[in-house]
Amino acid sequence: MRILVTGASSLLGRHVALQLAERGDVVTCFQRSDSGTGLAQVRGDVRDADALASAADGHDAVVHLAALVAPRATWSDAYGVNVTGTVNAQRAASRCGRFVHVSTPSVAFRNTAAVGAGADSSTYSGRDVYARSKAVAERLVLEEMDVPTVVVRPHLVWGPGDTQLVGRIIERARQRRLVVPDHGRALIDTTYVDDAAAAIVAALDRAVPGSEACAKAWVVTGSDPRPVIDLLSGILGAAGLESSIRSVPGPLAGLAGRAVDRFWRDDEPPFTYFAVRQLSVAHWFDQREVQRVLDWTPRVSVDEGLRRLAQWFRPPGHEITG
Amino acid sequence: MTRRGGATVSAEADPLSPSPSELRRWGLDPSWSRRVTFPDVDGGQLNWHVLDTGPGPKGTIVCVHGNPTWGYLWRDVLATLSPGWRVIAVDQTGMGYSQRPGPRHLGQRVDELVRFCRQEVDGPVVLAAHDWGGPIAGGAAAQLDVRALVLANTALALPEGVRVPPLIAAARSLSDLICRRTPLFVAGSAAMTDRAHRAALRAPYRSSTRRAAIAEFVADIPVRPGDRSSTDLARSAAALDALTCPVLILWGARDPVFHDRFLRDLRRRVPHARVERFADAGHLVCLDEPVGAVIASWLDRSLQAPNVAADAARGDETAAPPLRSVLAALDEHRDDPSLVYQGPDGSLTWSDLAERSSVAAWVLQASGLHPGDRVSLLTPPGVELLVAAMAVWKAGGACVVADASAGLVQLRRLIRGAAPSIVIGTASTLTAARLGRFAPGARLAAFASKPGVIDLHTAPREGAFVPVEFRADDEAAVVHTSGATGPAKPVRYSHGALAAQRDTLANLWDIEPGDAFTTSFGPFMLLAPVIAMGFVRPDFDVDKPSELTFDALAAAARQARVTTAWLSPAAAQTVAGTAGGRHLALGLVLLAGAPIPTSLVERIQEITEGEVRTPYGMTECLPITDGVDPLRRGPFAGTCTGRPLANCVVDIVALDDPRSPSLGDGAWGEILVSAPWMFDGYDARWSADSETSIDRDGRRFHRTGDVGYLAEGVLFQLGRAAHVLRTACGPVTSVGVEEPVAEALGRPVAAVAVGPAGTSVIALVLGGEGDLRLAPGSLASRARAASSHQIAAVLEGRLPTDRRHQSKVDRTGLAKSVSRFLAGR
Repeated sequence: MRILVTGASSLLGRHVALQLAERGDVVTCFQRSDSGTGLAQVRGDVRDADALASAADGHDAVVHLAALVAPRATWSDAYGVNVTGTVNAQRAASRCGRFVHVSTPSVAFRNTAAVGAGADSSTYSGRDVYARSKAVAERLVLEEMDVPTVVVRPHLVWGPGDTQLVGRIIERARQRRLVVPDHGRALIDTTYVDDAAAAIVAALDRAVPGSEACAKAWVVTGSDPRPVIDLLSGILGAAGLESSIRSVPGPLAGLAGRAVDRFWRDDEPPFTYFAVRQLSVAHWFDQREVQRVLDWTPRVSVDEGLRRLAQWFRPPGHEITG
Repeated sequence: MTRRGGATVSAEADPLSPSPSELRRWGLDPSWSRRVTFPDVDGGQLNWHVLDTGPGPKGTIVCVHGNPTWGYLWRDVLATLSPGWRVIAVDQTGMGYSQRPGPRHLGQRVDELVRFCRQEVDGPVVLAAHDWGGPIAGGAAAQLDVRALVLANTALALPEGVRVPPLIAAARSLSDLICRRTPLFVAGSAAMTDRAHRAALRAPYRSSTRRAAIAEFVADIPVRPGDRSSTDLARSAAALDALTCPVLILWGARDPVFHDRFLRDLRRRVPHARVERFADAGHLVCLDEPVGAVIASWLDRSLQAPNVAADAARGDETAAPPLRSVLAALDEHRDDPSLVYQGPDGSLTWSDLAERSSVAAWVLQASGLHPGDRVSLLTPPGVELLVAAMAVWKAGGACVVADASAGLVQLRRLIRGAAPSIVIGTASTLTAARLGRFAPGARLAAFASKPGVIDLHTAPREGAFVPVEFRADDEAAVVHTSGATGPAKPVRYSHGALAAQRDTLANLWDIEPGDAFTTSFGPFMLLAPVIAMGFVRPDFDVDKPSELTFDALAAAARQARVTTAWLSPAAAQTVAGTAGGRHLALGLVLLAGAPIPTSLVERIQEITEGEVRTPYGMTECLPITDGVDPLRRGPFAGTCTGRPLANCVVDIVALDDPRSPSLGDGAWGEILVSAPWMFDGYDARWSADSETSIDRDGRRFHRTGDVGYLAEGVLFQLGRAAHVLRTACGPVTSVGVEEPVAEALGRPVAAVAVGPAGTSVIALVLGGEGDLRLAPGSLASRARAASSHQIAAVLEGRLPTDRRHQSKVDRTGLAKSVSRFLAGR
């Protein structure tokens, strides 16, 4: 199969492109900067419909990962990349034959706990600019399907080389600004990047006429929920940092988040209400149906993922001393 | 819109049907509402309003309401049983939205129902009746082809010793004022159920003319032999007595008019009836509880099974094996001057017990106790309890034993449910019983002479005691489950089962004449005169088993040749904790109430230098295994309970599927047991009975609700089925998760499920002090490393235990707190 992968310079995009190439698919990467995969690539912006369409020419499928992930992006920026970009990708895919759209569980996050929640939820919320733009995009995708389409919502993807989740946590910890609500007791499910990429590859294989997977959005996770504090201290441990996480009462953190949302106007804020709520309440999912439908199971537990992360931070023979 | 005053209403007496919008508001399908005209007895025509769900393949159910309700009462039955069944809820003549032609008597109402059914129903019918609909349906049943009968809070006669209910008496004497002129009776009845039903219940009775039949209905209740309808009522009662079709009785226990004594009366009339008693429902049980589902599953089961009454009749014909009665040992020792009981309240010789219980039995008989009547024993464990229990059996009664440690509210609930005819107690317990209305209509008795209380000390001046012979299937006792693993349920034992239990225990204990035993379980002392063993009661509060100290146990053991002690885990903990290096020789110590920690077994072994056994058993069947070798390790986790006893069958079946084939050696599943000494059934709990009583190859098994496995013929217990962790990777037993971690960390551990069943994740709680909190990272890592399961979270904190045993971890409650904790806020 010939496949166009958008957003291949991101952690997850790179893994998807490499997994596809490894199993023999012909992959073209599409993104603004260099993908770093060594695979064939077209440099371009997903907001540019023509560029995307011509890049997709001659491919059998489009896997769309390109997105703007910034909690305080302006609505027009977020809309441009996340909505217009997705519409463009879907149009390009409609001439190819298959479309896989990578969304996020936060499109349905309502600031309340999700405990073993169903994975094919079709309710939308959109509590910050990112989540709202991704929600709009996902709805448009599911309303306008010309070709077999599967939407995948990987939950909290992390792994070696991750600048989003892992990078930010480490940066905060170095600045001694890592704070969690209520000692980090909320149970949260995450997805190791290899498993998330494998789920997207599996979704691509199920994007065929008559498949149960089509025309639905599927949350995929590692099915190994842990308290927030276990994840944070695990990541710090892997990076060789001493754990210096402070705790604040959940309600107080919520209030602070609201204040930041209201008054923080300059640079990127230290946190947002949305982020506070995501760390304050449980969110983990019932994965039985999605695992059956995609014929996919996660293979990397949190503990194994942390071992790999530690190895990445300290490759053998490159022990950090002192 | 409204038809009021329009030409469509011809006769002024003919009431309006409810409007579609009203019906919808009351949760009734408007298409059910229709009018039926059928010939009256004197050649005229009657016009009834009915709620009729239309044809159903399973047959027709005709529902008859009482006074002052109407067809709305059967709302849940209409909705739940249709469309499988055709359900017709009629409004009786003069009631609801039916025609109001003038006064009716019971006989006429029976006749009208028969005529209605003959016109509207082809073939046999199922009748359902509530309140005064009961006598009407009962009378009609004699003239119709009835497949099954459902009765709800009704009466066909006043039970012996019970007066006319004061509410009925008041309504009768002021009937016109209360029932017709004012809506008091209607409002009062409607107030007995949820507010949501009130508008619908009151709607057809808004004016005094529309209420006329309510007053006439009340006036027609026969309370004296000469009353007009008394012959008809007697005829209905006789018809019910003769009924052979399946009968289901639904009972709301909080009924100020028909209390549990009325239920006892109904059950005596129809011994084959199945009973579902709802402890929290009132008179309008059909509105208070989802009765439709119960009726539906009962009909499915009883109509496909062979006729129950015929079964019972067959049972009568087959000669029961000769029964060595539970009183046989007492009879053999009637001249024995040795002690059968010693305790802080005094002692009792065998001959004393025989003599005093005979006197008390005679008194009970002379006071009107009939064979089969229940007697509640509210005497604390001691001399009086022994005498009272033996007296009740001698008089042919059944003992109701309720555990006072459950608290007064629970005690009242249990005793009311058993509906005893007599309560035997002490001055203080009888006062509590009288003030708390523990047993409406029951007589009180005590070993003392007090006004208004039967004196069990003093033999009647005339007449003679007529010894009562009982058969194996006669009811001997009603005891109660602890409530530690769900709401307390009343458990019925027959004389046959008690005799079999005695033989099994005697065999197990290897008793020599003169041997005595002691126990921390109060009512177990009743075994002493049955099993022919002495009993010594240690000086402690039996309601608080954890207060049995080493000294109290040692003092008891010094009084006689105590060879056997039967201890609850909580009592054993305290004994072990207060021993302080001292020893107490005992031949056999039974620790009941698994799982017992191995450390406790070892400590008790060391203190007593005797054999410690942990037999498996429960209120419903005790014992099941021999409890030998409690420290034996199985191929998997779990507590060793020994081998199943002779004549007792233990089957392990797949979880949630009790009818599946037995699992092989080493496979865990739910434990099913069957033994000649197991209980007869739960009292008045048809649903619980039908869920837990499993027929396998013609043998009755009890679903224990426990999980475990057999290995080389030895039964290992793995805790409760309710505590199985239903993860996405399949079910896992909590015990199986806990054991390796507890061993590795050397502290108690509870494993609970978090999240929806089938996809839940496992959280471990390490026992300690204080509120729930996350365990420190290093501890959590050690716990995870010790487990072969995926552990989502490791917490620390105090493990809650149940109040009764003070030993079992309340995993259900803990799971709730852990789930709340890990959900964040």
